[in-house]
Amino acid sequence: MQHEPTSPPMISVRGMSKLFGEFVALDRIDFDVSRGEKIVVLGPSGSGKSTLIRTLNRIEPHDSGTLTIDGKLINDKTDPIQLRCMVGMVFQNYNLFPHLSVLDNCILAPMRVRRMSRIEATTLARRYLNQVGIPDQADKYPIQLSGGQQQRVAIARALCMQPEVMLFDEPTAALDPEAIVGVVSIMDELSEQGITTVCVTHEMAFSRRIADRIIFMDQGKIVEITPPEIFFTSPKSDRAQNFLNQMLRY
Amino acid sequence: MTSFFFRLPLMQRFRPVAALAGVLFATAGLHGLAHAEQPPSFVHDGTLTICTNPTLPPMTFVKGQDVSHPEGYDIDVAQALANRWNARLSVVTMDFTGLFPSLSAQRCGLVMSGIIRMPSREKSFDAVTYQDTALVVVGRKGTPSLTSMDELSGKNVAVESGTSYITRLGVVNDALVAAGKPPMIIQQYPTEEQVVQQVLIGRVFAFVSQDVELFYRMRQLKDKLHVLITPDIPDYRHFAIYLRQNPQDLTALQSAVTALETDGNLQALRTKWSVTDPSTGNEAPSTTSSAMFDWAAFFSALTSTAFLHGALITLSVALISHFIAITLSVPIAIVLNSPQRSVLKIVLEGYVSLFRAAPTLLQLLFIWNAVPQFFPIFREQWFTPFLATILALSINESAYQVEINRAALSAVDPGQELGASALGLSRRDIYWRVIFPQAFRIALPPTINEFINLLKITSLASVISLQELLAVTQIQVARTFAFTEYYAAALVYYLVMVFFFLFLQKRVERRFAWSDRKKVVSNAA
Repeated sequence: MQHEPTSPPMISVRGMSKLFGEFVALDRIDFDVSRGEKIVVLGPSGSGKSTLIRTLNRIEPHDSGTLTIDGKLINDKTDPIQLRCMVGMVFQNYNLFPHLSVLDNCILAPMRVRRMSRIEATTLARRYLNQVGIPDQADKYPIQLSGGQQQRVAIARALCMQPEVMLFDEPTAALDPEAIVGVVSIMDELSEQGITTVCVTHEMAFSRRIADRIIFMDQGKIVEITPPEIFFTSPKSDRAQNFLNQMLRY
Repeated sequence: MTSFFFRLPLMQRFRPVAALAGVLFATAGLHGLAHAEQPPSFVHDGTLTICTNPTLPPMTFVKGQDVSHPEGYDIDVAQALANRWNARLSVVTMDFTGLFPSLSAQRCGLVMSGIIRMPSREKSFDAVTYQDTALVVVGRKGTPSLTSMDELSGKNVAVESGTSYITRLGVVNDALVAAGKPPMIIQQYPTEEQVVQQVLIGRVFAFVSQDVELFYRMRQLKDKLHVLITPDIPDYRHFAIYLRQNPQDLTALQSAVTALETDGNLQALRTKWSVTDPSTGNEAPSTTSSAMFDWAAFFSALTSTAFLHGALITLSVALISHFIAITLSVPIAIVLNSPQRSVLKIVLEGYVSLFRAAPTLLQLLFIWNAVPQFFPIFREQWFTPFLATILALSINESAYQVEINRAALSAVDPGQELGASALGLSRRDIYWRVIFPQAFRIALPPTINEFINLLKITSLASVISLQELLAVTQIQVARTFAFTEYYAAALVYYLVMVFFFLFLQKRVERRFAWSDRKKVVSNAA
């Protein structure tokens, strides 16, 4: 793997569009994400944020334009399994498997996809469960955990695949304020470890703290891409200004 | 003999072959060579197959425990015919309503089941008379005799369904209505012993039967029955053997029956089964006259091989059919749940609607009696009632199971598939490791329900001669008249089977602790 400063961007998106029937969800999107960079995607509801990050691991295949990840062109000929080994994802509703224990949630994919042995996968899973702060919950079922704990499991489960890129789709949207603090602090820790991250969120303080750049979206288009210190103080566009005014009012 | 003339030209042309065939028959024949005749076309591969409903003693009934071997006057006559043609006799037993459709479908060469010779039946089939009889109207002992059929006006009368008695009583009813009197209320029952039982328990005033059967029942039931009237109806004076229409076969059968009559064979059988005289003949098993529950009869039924065998057939038909149904229904449900329209989806939707809509009984009858007319392969020996039932019930049940599976699959949160595919799991793993285990929990209770239903629905297969538990029970009841005891024994078998599967369901459900927070907590404590 290349680590020179001249290495190509981890993610490169050019002219990407996505339609749901007549509705244009993504309209000719262009952006790059460097290796190790933290990107936060902001924007009002229905602006295409979630659709955008779902195209990055092809859970929603794009209709036109190109997507390149780690120098590889991603299209319908790409093996989706290889792609998803490289790009992990955490959802708003955790999407844990309720019939499996916390540990089994974490080791299923490493064993089935990465062909790890049970012992190997368990060692790895315990390490990440420890990292997300719930080492004692390994044998419980998801239903026995609080929302915040479930989201930590979901993060650990994604990390067990040792991805190069992590996608977060509003990871704190379903949590109460106390749980948000916990999950955000884990994401802070992750960002320090240098994993490439694309995160859709409404957590403004968190965005400002961890983001290298903010992507602001509206109506399926990228309105601006700016460093957080500029975005939160003097955004270039009126729409971003309006959005921030509304967000900060609460 | 008439058949001789039909055979003559053939014999002249192929004399050496015929001579050789004669030698073969002589070595293979079980009985006297003197009787050897060219067999009619309904004798296939040296086998004469007859269809019978063995609930009509003394004509055709099951004496012992082995329901696959009926006995009686009809069976002995069939054996005598088979001997004449140097053929082996094979007896197929089934519900009365299945007899004529089976004859049409070439499942048997002859129907011999104590059936009246009727002009209406001869429109579709040929008939050969072999036994004289008379129609009788029978009531309980102590009921005054009738002088005319008109006196049945307004009374309940029981008859066996599928028989010609119903048409005949319809004629009487028409006359009653024309004369301004209330008609008889006709109740139909699927077996003869149930018809008799209605009189015994006093639900109906009388039943209609033939004197031959009545002689046997009179001895069996001692003093409980009494002939109310023997109306002089010419149409009801003969029992006939029915065959598919074929002039040569008809002549051959007629001459064979005439020969059996001439050489005294039939007379000997009449005496053996006391067909014409109620006072002689071998003993009919009598019933215990008391109204008390006969525990000995109950336990002997419960431990009999006949019941055990019937229960095993019921259980294996239900298990195999449901297994096939589930196997078929899962992929169908997945296709039907997919959002895309496709030709396959439309075809499968049609399949599910058709087999949910059509009555199960109709599907059984269709597969057994109608399909062989288009595909002769289905009338061959390998296609047994057991296979036919499994085929019909698998298809029928798969349609119901598709709906259960569809509901269970859509009840699984779509986020599960999303989460699993984001982890890189293959389609196969997504289904087998993530979706199916969750859908299984939802589908289990309705699936066990379906299975219990299926276990009981197997009893419909008696119409296509499957000797499952309820068919066995009815045949045994026809023999002994121990209704309560035999029904109770059957009930015990059904309950034991059903309770076992309910117990299994509970055990499996206990493994779904993950679905219930309270359960998980209490287990952990």
